[in-house]
Amino acid sequence: MTGLKLVEGYMPIQMLGEMGLQALLFIFIFYLLDKKMGIKVNKLLQATLLFVYSILYFRYRIYPPIPFSVRAIYATMTLIGIFMWVSSTEEAWQDFRRPIIAVADATTGAAKMIRTVVIILLPFLVGFMGYNSMKPNVDEPIELRTVHPAPPASTKVHGKTFVLQTAQSPFRVDNDGKYSDKVQNTYIDGNPWDEKAPPYLQYVREGGQIFFQNCHWCHGDNLNGRGMFAFAFNPIPANFTDPGTIAQLQETFVFWRVAKGGLNLPREGFPWASVMPPWEQHLTTDEIWKVILFEYWHTGYYPRTWD
Amino acid sequence: MNALFSRLTKKTLIVATIAISFGVAGGLAILSTTGDVTAAGPAMSPGFIKGPNPAKADPAMVDAGKKIYFRKCVWCHGVDGAGDGPGADRLWPRPRNFNAGTFKIRHTASGELPLFDPTKPVSGQNDLFDTVTHGLPGSAMPSWDGILTEQQRLQVLSFVTTQLVKDRKFDDKTETFTILDINNKDLKQVSYGKESIEKGAKLVVEKKCVECHGTDGRGDGNPFNLKDDWGFPIQPADWHKCWNFRGSRRDAYNVKNIFRTFSTGVNGTPMPSFADNTTVEERWHIANFVNSLCERDSSGNPLPIDPLTDKPKINFVVPSGFIEGEIPADPNDKKWQKRERRIIGMGGQITHKPRNFVNRIDDLWVKSLYNKNEIAFLFQWDDRSKSQVAPGVNVVAVTEAPAKTGEEGSIAAKQNNYEVYNDGVAIQFPAKWEEILPPEKPRYLHGEEKRHVDIWKWEADGTLKAYTGSGWDQPLEERSGSTATLKLVKSEFKDGLWTVMMKRALNTEDKDADVQFQTGRYIPTVFFAWDGHNGDTGLKMAVSAFYYSILEPPVPIEAKVYPILMAVGMIIAEGWILRRRASKRKLKS
Repeated sequence: MTGLKLVEGYMPIQMLGEMGLQALLFIFIFYLLDKKMGIKVNKLLQATLLFVYSILYFRYRIYPPIPFSVRAIYATMTLIGIFMWVSSTEEAWQDFRRPIIAVADATTGAAKMIRTVVIILLPFLVGFMGYNSMKPNVDEPIELRTVHPAPPASTKVHGKTFVLQTAQSPFRVDNDGKYSDKVQNTYIDGNPWDEKAPPYLQYVREGGQIFFQNCHWCHGDNLNGRGMFAFAFNPIPANFTDPGTIAQLQETFVFWRVAKGGLNLPREGFPWASVMPPWEQHLTTDEIWKVILFEYWHTGYYPRTWD
Repeated sequence: MNALFSRLTKKTLIVATIAISFGVAGGLAILSTTGDVTAAGPAMSPGFIKGPNPAKADPAMVDAGKKIYFRKCVWCHGVDGAGDGPGADRLWPRPRNFNAGTFKIRHTASGELPLFDPTKPVSGQNDLFDTVTHGLPGSAMPSWDGILTEQQRLQVLSFVTTQLVKDRKFDDKTETFTILDINNKDLKQVSYGKESIEKGAKLVVEKKCVECHGTDGRGDGNPFNLKDDWGFPIQPADWHKCWNFRGSRRDAYNVKNIFRTFSTGVNGTPMPSFADNTTVEERWHIANFVNSLCERDSSGNPLPIDPLTDKPKINFVVPSGFIEGEIPADPNDKKWQKRERRIIGMGGQITHKPRNFVNRIDDLWVKSLYNKNEIAFLFQWDDRSKSQVAPGVNVVAVTEAPAKTGEEGSIAAKQNNYEVYNDGVAIQFPAKWEEILPPEKPRYLHGEEKRHVDIWKWEADGTLKAYTGSGWDQPLEERSGSTATLKLVKSEFKDGLWTVMMKRALNTEDKDADVQFQTGRYIPTVFFAWDGHNGDTGLKMAVSAFYYSILEPPVPIEAKVYPILMAVGMIIAEGWILRRRASKRKLKS
């Protein structure tokens, strides 16, 4: 879609804002037509237009697309909102009712024709919709997977136990080699490829090397989860540039996930379907810490703290 | 009809959304579409005009671009832009080496530098900007749209074009920029249609396109002898997968992209420009024909492209259709032709060693039919060559090369030099899936120790065998009894397309190890594929995500009766409403 871009991670807020603005714009346009140009658009027509527009909006604008069941809920909410709007004043409600009553009473020739058509079509429509919903369907079953399952208290990698609450990245360090949660901020614009780069940035560079030799096929060259192989998987791999992934997680949680991969996920994480390698099979403990260091530096997010 | 409707509404909606978005934003800057180009010179190929040399890069933008380059790009393209970053040796195609100023996708004449203007982020007039914005599908280069702002993209390109392109200079007055003026009305686009496609089909033979791209355009004409300017093997494009065209600009079915590539050639590769030996009209015919080969749905509409992945949308269900009588052995039989096919996305197996970093089978097409006794699966996929183990060759497990090998040892250099193994395809179901509560499944890669899987594996030497998988680290165990119940109906390689059909009884004796089929039940399914010329064997292969096979159940009697009752109920309700209105009217009068 061209037009305005959805900002990754802020989609719900942006969507709500857009919807609200568009609804206001709709009402404003009809108001203008009425007051300034004397064209009165019937409330039923207004409501129908607004409803159809919002259904199309949910279907095509929202990205990534949402399943039909969720769209149905949104559409119902919209419908309730529209009913509240048209029934807010007696005048509007009468305007809304008028065409329906006119057709039902068939006072004019045209209304009579419409009534006949509606009377004949409605039973067919109901029968057809009934058949459609009752005939066996072979749609994709919906399976909800927990993206961030509860971590264990500790994890053993290459023979060493790491307690998730207390372990620290050995490479998130200042120039004196002490753990520092400020060092990323200090060097966020630094060049890890500079020969005189401080130790932290050198570790970032080593992490980047590992990332681009192992991870990008799935997680993408720009870390957005759309690498070369990503399209084949369901769901597509984690998007680190989204504020809902590594930005929400503690560094040690990420360490556990990277080291153990899909194989050792708890049941709610769908271990059978995850292609995430248990990276302890491919990388050393230090390499795992470094690649995580790189992911945070590259996306500019900070790991969450335990408190 | 349905597809047409949804396309129409989509289009209308896009227009409406854009219009409203613009209104909401209070009006955005209007894009200027007028290029500052001068009249065509006499020596120009038809359709080309002389363009201006680009503006000098702003040093502040170069500086800002350098920062971005060393954050985002250096990992593949390298410190000196020589395409030798840490990621390069495990990629094929390798990342671009910028030094010589050779770029593939351009609007400029063959051999010229691409269009780049640091002040003009206008699509179609700024080739390098478009490449960074849309990425290069089929390679590791992603779309940077949404990751880098327009300004950042222009900055990083200012740095690349001035500092990393070393052999040529964009602002050198001896450089010429002869632009394919694709939007000029005089370049009369021939509309897409039967007549033009037929003309194009003749022209691709006449102009020898098929010598490389293959009789049926699957890139199988000359797959192993072509090299790029740096001596690395390169393959002709597969015209059936337009979403993988490097120059598809996230608009895969747009014929203009093909027209452009065909007119300007692909610098650094054996693909020449055809600007001088074809007329403009001929080029449109060829572009239309190539476009017509790209896979479409049964009504001839373009496949829906998933905006999330820029590949065809995947439905993760493979439905099997019921037929009376024998399952036909000929894939062109009406019963097979009527059947809807489903695309299976394939990625390289990179979970366990040996990992398959360069995956050459990125999709399979699958259909399935069943009758009272049997179920059949029909697989079709593009492969540039038939690969079969030569007699006497011992198939040994492949080992993984270290990540950084230098260009000579890189994966790109090794392509086409592998020991050739068997092509293959396999389908995996959980054994005793009835006893596993959904959504739980045995692991996608050969199951688990306690939960076995049933794998049917076909290889290009003509064998089809049943195996039990009990974990990724366990060898597959052949079950000779089950192998006897599997039947290979057909396997054929023709013009770059494999067709393999296999069938088995719905139910068998060995209920512990053989998958048993039931109608209306979702059976977890995983697909594997091997390209023998990629040295694929064992775990070095292509894998799919979990799909579901389902034998479409017959329509139950309730689904026929209840809708009729509902319709009758509606008629009664209508009568009641009308009577009510009538009596109200009477009351009023």
